[in-house]
Amino acid sequence: MDTVLSSATPSATDVNSFLSAAEKEALKAATFQRLHPQIYLERFLEEKIRPDGRSIADDENEDTHAWRNVEVNVGSITTTSGSALVRLGNTTVVCGVKAEICEPELDNSDEGFLVPNVDLPALCSPKFKTGPPTEEAQVLSERLNEVLGNGMIPLSSLCIYPGKSAWVLYVDATVINYDGNVFDAALLAMVCALKNVSLPHAEFNPELNRTICTRPKSDSSKPARKLIIEEDLVPLSFSFGVFAGSYLLPDPTASEESLLDTTISIILNTRARILALSQLGTGVDKSEAPGQGVADISHTREADTLARCISLAKKRQAVIMKKVYDT
Amino acid sequence: MQSVFDRRRINGPEDSSAPIFADEHQKSLTPDLYKDRHNRSVSDIRPIFLQPGLISQANGSAYIETDRTKIACSVYGPRQSKNTAYNEKGRLNVEVKFTPFSSERRRAPLRDAEDRSIAVAIQQALLSSVRLEHFPKSTIDIFLVIIEADGIEGCVASGSIAASTALADAGIDMYGLVTSCTAAIIGEDIWVDPTQEECDMANGTLILSCMPALGIVTNVWQSGRMAISQVSACLDACDGRCTDIHSVVAQALLNSARSKV
Repeated sequence: MDTVLSSATPSATDVNSFLSAAEKEALKAATFQRLHPQIYLERFLEEKIRPDGRSIADDENEDTHAWRNVEVNVGSITTTSGSALVRLGNTTVVCGVKAEICEPELDNSDEGFLVPNVDLPALCSPKFKTGPPTEEAQVLSERLNEVLGNGMIPLSSLCIYPGKSAWVLYVDATVINYDGNVFDAALLAMVCALKNVSLPHAEFNPELNRTICTRPKSDSSKPARKLIIEEDLVPLSFSFGVFAGSYLLPDPTASEESLLDTTISIILNTRARILALSQLGTGVDKSEAPGQGVADISHTREADTLARCISLAKKRQAVIMKKVYDT
Repeated sequence: MQSVFDRRRINGPEDSSAPIFADEHQKSLTPDLYKDRHNRSVSDIRPIFLQPGLISQANGSAYIETDRTKIACSVYGPRQSKNTAYNEKGRLNVEVKFTPFSSERRRAPLRDAEDRSIAVAIQQALLSSVRLEHFPKSTIDIFLVIIEADGIEGCVASGSIAASTALADAGIDMYGLVTSCTAAIIGEDIWVDPTQEECDMANGTLILSCMPALGIVTNVWQSGRMAISQVSACLDACDGRCTDIHSVVAQALLNSARSKV
C-alpha cells in the first residue's frame, strides 16, 4: 500500500530535474511574483531598482534609465489616410485615421469632427475578454478625447463647405500588446498618425449637393494636403505611478500598474509647457514623520512629488521630441 | 455609414460616408490585372514576413505580413474552461476582430457575420492539428486582430498561418504545422495568392489548409463557380505552395527559439 502511494505521488524533484540551477531560481522568483506581487515589487524597490531593470526616479538616481525605449513607425497601413505604430517597451499600439465626409452640425456649421477611440481587444492581455468596451477602454477613450480635443487640430480646418460638408476624422487606436502605460503610447500613436494624415482635395458642388474628391495622382493641380496642426497644442503625455505612497515609478509596466495606488500624467506641448495634469488614485502617502503637522507634511510631499514629476517629464520630453519629429 | 449611437465609445456625427473620388467612374470595369501583378507570375505567392513571439503578454503569438495583409495573433491557454461541463477533449476557441481602418470602407467596431465566418474557417483549419485530448477541461483561446486586410480569402489564409505559428510559439502539442494557400480562377488560368481585386474578378476561389509535414488536408473552402477539373488543379497548385510556406514558418520558429536562448 505504501509503495503504491509513494509511486503515485510525484516528488518535487521529478518536475525540476531537467531544469538548470538558474532556471530553478527563475521559476521560484516567478512563483513568488504570482503569489505575493506586492512584496516582490517592494523587495526590488528597496534596492533602488525595478523588476525590469530600470531605475526608480530618485534624487540620487540618473533618471534617463527610468523610461522604456520608444519606437515609432508611420504610414505603413495603406487603407488609412494616416497611420502610426508605437512601441513603448513591450506596449504596442497601432493607430489608423480614416477620413470620411459628413454634414456639419447646425450650431457649428463650419467645423469638422475628430473622433478618437481606443480598443483593448482580448488579444493584448489575459485580463481582457471579447465584448463591448470595458471600463478601462472607455476611460482611456474619454481621456484621449479630452486631450486631443484641446485644439491640436482646429476643427474649422476640417470644413469643406460651411453648413454642407466637412471632414470627420476617425482616429482608432488598437492595443496589440498591453504592458502598462497605454495612455502615453496611445496618445503618441494618435499624434503621430494625425501628423501623417494626407487628405485628398475635396470640393463641394452646390448644384449636385455632393462633395467630390480628387485623387492626387489623377490631377496634379489638386494636390492632397496635410492636416493643419497647431504646433503649440500638440500633446505629449508622461505618466508616473506612485507605489506604497513613497516610490515614484515613471512609465509603469503592467505588473507594476496593478499595484499602484496613484497614477499621475503630465501632458506637455512641444515647447515643454504644461497642457494638462491628471492624477488618478489616492494621492501621496500623508503619514510621514510622526509628531509633525501631518497636513503640512502631506501638502509639501504632494507638491514635491508633482514638481518632481513635472521636471522629469520635461527632461524626457526632449528625447521624445526627436522621435516624433524625425518620423 | 450610419453609425449607431454607442454610449461606450466616443461617437462621431450620425451619418458619414467614405469620400467619393472624381475618377471612380473612369476606372475600367476590367482593370489590367496582369500589369498590377508586377514581378509575380500566376503561380507565385507574395513574400511572407512572419514573426513569432511579438506579444509578451500572451502564451504564444505571431505577426504575419504579406504585402497588404497584416494580422496579429495571440494564443492564451490552455486555460480554464468557462463552462463547467466536463469535456474530455479541450476546446479550441478562435476569435477574429477587424480594426476599423483595416479596409477601404471603415468598419464599425461592432462584430458582424464576416468576423464569425473567418473565425470558423480558421478554427476548422486548425482543429485537426491540435492534440486536444491532452487538454481536458481546458480551452485554448486564439485571438486574431486584422490590422490591414486584402480580401477575405487572404485573411483566412494568412490568419491560419499566423494562428498555427502562435500555437507552436505557445508550446501547445500539435500533430503538425498548418499552412494555407488561396487560388483563384481568372479566365481559364489559376492564379495563386490573389489580391482583393483579383478575387473580385475571379469566377471562383479556393482556400486550402493542410499540414504539409503529414500530407493531410485540414480544410478546403471553395466559393464561386469552378469545373471539377479546375478544383483539382487548384488543390495541386495550393499544395505545392503550402509546402513552401511550411519551410518559411519552420524557419521563423527556429530563429525565434534560437534568439530566446
